[in-house]
Amino acid sequence: MMSAMGHQSQNGTIGYSFGTPTTAPHKEHSFYPYTDNGGSTLGITGADFAILAGDTRSVAGYNINSRYSPKVFKIGGEDDTGDNAHIILSVVGFAADGHALKERLDAIVKMYKYQHGKPMSVRACAQRLSTILYQKRFFPYYVTAILAGLDEEGKGALYSYDPVGSYEREQCRAAGSAASLIMPFLDNQVSFKNQYIPGSGEGHDLQAKKKELLPMGTVEQLVKDAFTSAVERHIEVGDGLQMMVITKSGIEEKYFPLKKD
Amino acid sequence: MDKLVSAYSRPPHKDDFYSEQEQRDLTENLPPLSLKFDLPPIDDSRGFLRAMTDDHSNPNCPIKLAHGTTTLAFRFQGGIIVATDSRATAGNWIASQTVKKVIPVSRLSRGEDKVSPDVAVPGLLGTMAGGAADCQYWLRYLSQQCTLHEIRHKRRITVAAASKILANLTYAYKGYGLSMGTMLAGMTPQEGPALYYIDSDGTRLPGNLFCVGSGQTFAYGVLDANYKYDLTEQEALELGRRSILAAMHRDAYSGGFINLYHVKEEGWVHHGFDDMNPIFWKTKFEKGEFSNVPMAL
Amino acid sequence: MGGFDFSNYNRNNVLHAKGVPLPKATSTGTTIVGCVFDNGVVIAADTRATSGPIVADKNCEKLHYIAPKIWCAGAGTAADTEFTTALISSNIELHSLSTGRPPRVITCMTMLKQHLFRYQGHIGAYLVVAGVDPTGTGLYTVHAHGSTDKLPYVTMGSGSLAAMSVFESTWKPNLNREEAIALASEAIKAGIFNDLGSGSNVDVCVIENDKPTDLLRNYMKPNERGEKARNYRFEKGTTAWVSQKVVSKEDMRKYVTVEEVSGDPNLMEVDS
Repeated sequence: MMSAMGHQSQNGTIGYSFGTPTTAPHKEHSFYPYTDNGGSTLGITGADFAILAGDTRSVAGYNINSRYSPKVFKIGGEDDTGDNAHIILSVVGFAADGHALKERLDAIVKMYKYQHGKPMSVRACAQRLSTILYQKRFFPYYVTAILAGLDEEGKGALYSYDPVGSYEREQCRAAGSAASLIMPFLDNQVSFKNQYIPGSGEGHDLQAKKKELLPMGTVEQLVKDAFTSAVERHIEVGDGLQMMVITKSGIEEKYFPLKKD
Repeated sequence: MDKLVSAYSRPPHKDDFYSEQEQRDLTENLPPLSLKFDLPPIDDSRGFLRAMTDDHSNPNCPIKLAHGTTTLAFRFQGGIIVATDSRATAGNWIASQTVKKVIPVSRLSRGEDKVSPDVAVPGLLGTMAGGAADCQYWLRYLSQQCTLHEIRHKRRITVAAASKILANLTYAYKGYGLSMGTMLAGMTPQEGPALYYIDSDGTRLPGNLFCVGSGQTFAYGVLDANYKYDLTEQEALELGRRSILAAMHRDAYSGGFINLYHVKEEGWVHHGFDDMNPIFWKTKFEKGEFSNVPMAL
Repeated sequence: MGGFDFSNYNRNNVLHAKGVPLPKATSTGTTIVGCVFDNGVVIAADTRATSGPIVADKNCEKLHYIAPKIWCAGAGTAADTEFTTALISSNIELHSLSTGRPPRVITCMTMLKQHLFRYQGHIGAYLVVAGVDPTGTGLYTVHAHGSTDKLPYVTMGSGSLAAMSVFESTWKPNLNREEAIALASEAIKAGIFNDLGSGSNVDVCVIENDKPTDLLRNYMKPNERGEKARNYRFEKGTTAWVSQKVVSKEDMRKYVTVEEVSGDPNLMEVDS
């Protein structure tokens, strides 16, 4: 037995080595152009409005790059002020990619207005953003984007994206590092998942709580609570909460401080 | 005079078919779109993409893409049934429970032309499994090609031709890292009900019955056991629903809502986007199936 | 002689080579500091424990008891600091019983470094050891690999640079008790606010000559959670159930002791 073992290891016929520590099989690439800048964003729509919000912290590893680096942007507005914009975009993930994406979409929406003499609809903008993301299918933008505005009927519209451009119109969506903390909360409080009408039936006859669009005041409170709670349990979320509310009278931007630890 | 006439007359239907330029466009390996895709500035761009986005070989990859799962389609005497689940996953995270995995292809069948929900909409249906973005983008590209075909030839494209456009496309991008398993279903006067399977390897198969996605085995189990070509419309719809339900029940990457479509001669009809939960309990209680799920504490 | 069980070492190496990720241990990020003053020494710590980017405990205790006048602040793997300090505490107690003298800080530091060196850094404990003994005031840092330092002010953990910047800019010799506490807690606050691995509250421990040791738990609370905007109480009957079984209070008494408490039984405490 002993000799057999010795013989094997001497000739190196064992498939793997116990002696030397082995590394994971996937190849390490020296080309790594991404940094995760952390943070979280979320969007909720109502009957005649849409809200996009994001924390304002930007991180790298355990360090804070900035305590005020916005993640929500106005699209297609004036250069400096962002006035007259009718679409908002939030980006979370790698801030440089996010910024490049925002600049690109902004330029396209502006060019559309100059060429067609009318503002781009949110539906068209949503489809265009998808193709912009897909153009980099083989070298993706490291971002999760959410686009919001008002649709042709004046209802709140929200579109969420994956990094390479698959998209869907939704009622609410959380993205970024604390998405797994916020999204279940939104499912329960906005879509009323797992909520039933008490006393509406026994066992399987119990009626699910009816879907309804929430009023703006409630949505704002939910956004604040989602972020103050995410700050408690996620180290990359904090410092400030930036919120943009889009209604038919325009875009209102708000800022609330969050815990800074 | 005859000489003059012959010099200025052209044989009939000369322009009905593709011009030389069009034929070249269609047979060229890469569509012109491909030139616009950005590639990372390194030699091994495919390896880079895999390292960044392939959560199967590297669960810690930084970019997790949304994936789709469990779709099925089958031909029967009354047309084609198409059914899917609605879950999208990114790694272990359920990215969405409300994905529309049946994508109408061609201009006429897109939502804006729809008159009423009860009227059948002419056109093809595509299904989505694998990368959500890949399926959405390339089925939209296919839609564009189908619309151009309609305009050029004043008639709808055949399913065979449409599926070939997609298969040529995926074959041209073979090895680049696209991920899609899609089925094209439609009915045309030339073909009758036609069903094709196309995937990102470049495979293109005509067939009677396909299940695609991580839950395909579960769906095949139910579908193969109960499938007959002579199914009535109601039976066929129920079988599609039940097969998807089986996959949603056993496959963690499938779930959400059951999306059902029926492709008929006049076009396709949508038969609901229904939460799986009440359907599951109804199936259990009324038919006594899923008796493996215990009721008592 | 006891020790660690290495029987799964080879298996885990093979699994890791095949790409199975290692399990996550709680807490690597922390800020801990120590500072001597005229009549003793003060150590301080933040109270955040993390597991990756998630806060595992918002108010944990990182100041560990070794002896009445020797305390230890721990950074690194939470379980390792906990058990290493507990082990050395026991040995110090036995040592002082057999010698009949109060334990010395340097003894504790030596036992810690010898223990940690033997395990070649696999015990991830990074410690600040502080105390007073008949030889005077002692303040040391001990790294997981076994190296030690003796300095008038020290910092450790992921927030050590933030905390050290406070010491380097404002420390002066011959501080008094109040100044030392203020300086140490200011250093911890620098870690809490500028290092993501550190957060929540400041714990302080003051060890002085001829005085009982003062453990100032939650000496500062600069990060109180604000009021929630909405009330998330669910009405009774909101959650669906598949089947129910009623166990009466009388039946319960067969297995457990039932104690009635006052207050609204419908209310549930959701936040600590």
